Amino acid sequence: MNQDILFRNNVKIKGKGKQSMIFAPGFGCDQTVWKSVAEAFEKDYQVILFDYVGLGHSDIHAYDSKRYSSLVGYAQDVLDICTALDLKDIVFVGHSVGSMIGLLASLRHPEYFSRLVMIGPSPCYLNDPPHYYGGFEKEELFGLIDMMEKNYIGWANVFAQTVTNNPELPEVKRQLEERFCSTDPIIAREFAEAAFFADNRSDLKKVTVPSLILQCSNDIIAPLAVGEYMHQHLPTSMLKIMAATGHCPHMSHPEETIRLITQYLNEASVSVVGSPAVRGVTL
Amino acid sequence: MDEQLDQAPCGFLTLSEDGFILAINQTLLKILNYNQDSLIGQHVNSILTVPARLFVQFYFFPLVKLEHRVEEMYISLVNTKGEEIPVLINALLKREKERTVLDCILIPMHKRNEYENELLLAKKETEEALKAKHKAMAELETTLKKLEIQKEALLELNQENQKYQIETKKELELARIIQETSLTDPINNDQFQMEVFYNASGELSGDIYGIYKIDPYRYGIILLDVMGHGISSALITMTLHSLFQRLISAGFPVDLVMKELDSHLHKLFHNNEEARHYSTAIYLLIDTDKQKIDYVNAGHPPALWQDPNGTQYELSSTAPPLGTFEDVVFKTNTFTYKKGGRLLLYTDGVDPLASNYLAPLLRKTALLPLCRLKQEILTCLHNEKNVYHKSDDETFILVDFK
Repeated sequence: MNQDILFRNNVKIKGKGKQSMIFAPGFGCDQTVWKSVAEAFEKDYQVILFDYVGLGHSDIHAYDSKRYSSLVGYAQDVLDICTALDLKDIVFVGHSVGSMIGLLASLRHPEYFSRLVMIGPSPCYLNDPPHYYGGFEKEELFGLIDMMEKNYIGWANVFAQTVTNNPELPEVKRQLEERFCSTDPIIAREFAEAAFFADNRSDLKKVTVPSLILQCSNDIIAPLAVGEYMHQHLPTSMLKIMAATGHCPHMSHPEETIRLITQYLNEASVSVVGSPAVRGVTL
Repeated sequence: MDEQLDQAPCGFLTLSEDGFILAINQTLLKILNYNQDSLIGQHVNSILTVPARLFVQFYFFPLVKLEHRVEEMYISLVNTKGEEIPVLINALLKREKERTVLDCILIPMHKRNEYENELLLAKKETEEALKAKHKAMAELETTLKKLEIQKEALLELNQENQKYQIETKKELELARIIQETSLTDPINNDQFQMEVFYNASGELSGDIYGIYKIDPYRYGIILLDVMGHGISSALITMTLHSLFQRLISAGFPVDLVMKELDSHLHKLFHNNEEARHYSTAIYLLIDTDKQKIDYVNAGHPPALWQDPNGTQYELSSTAPPLGTFEDVVFKTNTFTYKKGGRLLLYTDGVDPLASNYLAPLLRKTALLPLCRLKQEILTCLHNEKNVYHKSDDETFILVDFK
C-alpha cells in the first residue's frame, strides 16, 4: 500500500535531517522546479519531492477526473504521502496553487504539519467585487486555458523538440521533458480548472498551522493585495515581500527564496510557536 | 536599431530578463498602434492580453530560464484600441556585455488563428461525441450486467420451478394411481362381455365410471363426466365415486341414485358458486332376469344400444346435467332387451367433433368381437386427435349381452 502511494506520486526522498520538508509544485509543474531550492535544505532536513497524479513521472493510470476536479483531491495526494511515510510535524513548502493544496491538507490533518511556507499563494484568482480583488475575470482565466490548448500544453514532446538543436544543454532537455511533457492535455486542462476557479477564502481562518507567505514584487498572478489578504485572514501567519519579481522566485531567484525560508524556520525554532508576535510584515 | 530590422516584415522586441521593453521596431509599433516613447521601459505585460500575461508567467519565462529560447509560442497582444492580435513568438536569450537580454520576433497570425480555432472547436466536438459514446457504452454495460443478474435469477427460478414441477408430477402420478384404483374392473361372465377404455387428457381425469354386480340378476353401470378436466374435476369425480359406489351397491333405484348425486353436487357448491362444477351422467340398472334396463341420462351423450338384428336405439338425455338446477325430477326410462345386443357408453371426449361416427361404426362392426370394435374406435380417435390436436378426457364402455 505504502509502496503504491510512493510509486503513484513518484516520491523522492533525499537529505540528512530528522525533520521532513515536503515541496509541493505549483500549477502544471512537477518536482524538478524545486531543484535549486530543495538541494539547499538537504543538509538539515529530510527533503521529500513528489509529483501530483497526472503530472511528471506519476502513475497516470491513477488519475481520476472526479477526484482531481478540485484541490481537495490534490490535497489528498499530499496526505496520502504523509500517511505512507508516517510523517509528523513536517515543513510544507508550496508554490502558488501548491500552497493552497498544503493549506487544505493541513485542515484535514493539522498534526502532520509544523509550518506552512507559501510562495505566491492566492485563495481565489477571481475578482469578487466590491471587497475582493483576486486579479482576474472569469473570461480571462478561460482565455488562459484556451491559450494552453493552442500551445499544445500537455502534448508530448512539443517543448522538448525545440531543445534538440541545443546540444550543449542536454541536462536542460531532460529537465524540460520532465517538466512539460509528461502531462496529458486533458489532465492539464482539468488541473487548470481546479486551480484557477477555486475559492478557498473561507478556509483561511480555520488554519491552525503557522505559516510564512512569500510575496513576490510585481507578481501579476498573485498580486500584493492578495498576499495581504492571505496574511490578514490566516491566523499566525507572516508575510514577507520579496525583491524577486514574477511568480516563480524559487526558479528565478532561488538564493533569496532559500534565505527567507531558512530565516523563517530558524526564527520559528527559537520563538514561541503560534505567538501573535510572529505576525508582521518584513519588507 | 538598423533600418532593416526596424522595418522588417515581422515585429521585433528586446526585453530585459525580467520582462521590461528595451527596444521595439516600427513594424510592431504599427501593429500595436503605439509610438516608441510610450513603450520603452514598460513591462511587456502592457502589450499583452490578460490571459497572455498569465501564460507568459507560467510558460514563457520559465522556458527562457531553462532553455534560453522559446520557439513557436502562441500568445495574444493588445493594441491601444483594445483589439486583440494573435501572434507567434520566438525568443532567444542573448548575453551582452553587462546584461542578459531577450530578443523576440513576433508574427501576427489572424488567419491561422481562426483556422486553429475552428480546428479546436471540431476537436472539442469530437471529444464530446466520444465522451457521449463512452457514456452510452457504460450505460449499455450496466444494462448488460443487470440483464446478466436477471438472467441468473431467472435460471435459479427456473431450477426451482423444475424441481417444483418434478415434485408436482410425482404427486400427480400418485393421484392418478389412486384415481385409477377406484375404477372397477369390467365384468366378464356368462351374462356379459365388456371392454373399457379410460384415458385422461392430463394426469388426472374428469371422467369416472363404475360397474357393479348388485346381486345375481342385477348389474349397475354408471358413467360420469365432470365439467372441465384436470385436478379440480378429478377431485369431484372422487367424491361422486364414493357416493355412487354405496348407492349402486345397495341396489337403489336409478332415479334415486341420480337424485342423490345431483343433491351431492348442489350441497358441495352451496356456499361456493365460483367453484361450481356440474357433471353429465348416465346410469343403467340391468336386470338380466327380466331382461330389462332402467336408465337415466342427465345431459350425457346418448348411449347406443344395438339389437342383435342391428337396430340401434339412442339412450338420450332426458334431464339436465347433475348439479345445474335444484329440484330436478329424474324420470327413469325402461326398455327390455334381447340377448345378443350390444351397448356403447361414452363421454364426449370420444366424439370430440360430435361427428356421430360411433353409430355407423357400431353397425359396421356388429359381427366382430368387442375387442375389434374397441380397436376401431381407438384408431378413429387417434386420427382425429392428429388432425385437431384436441384433448379431452376419454372414456368408453362396450358391453355384449350374452
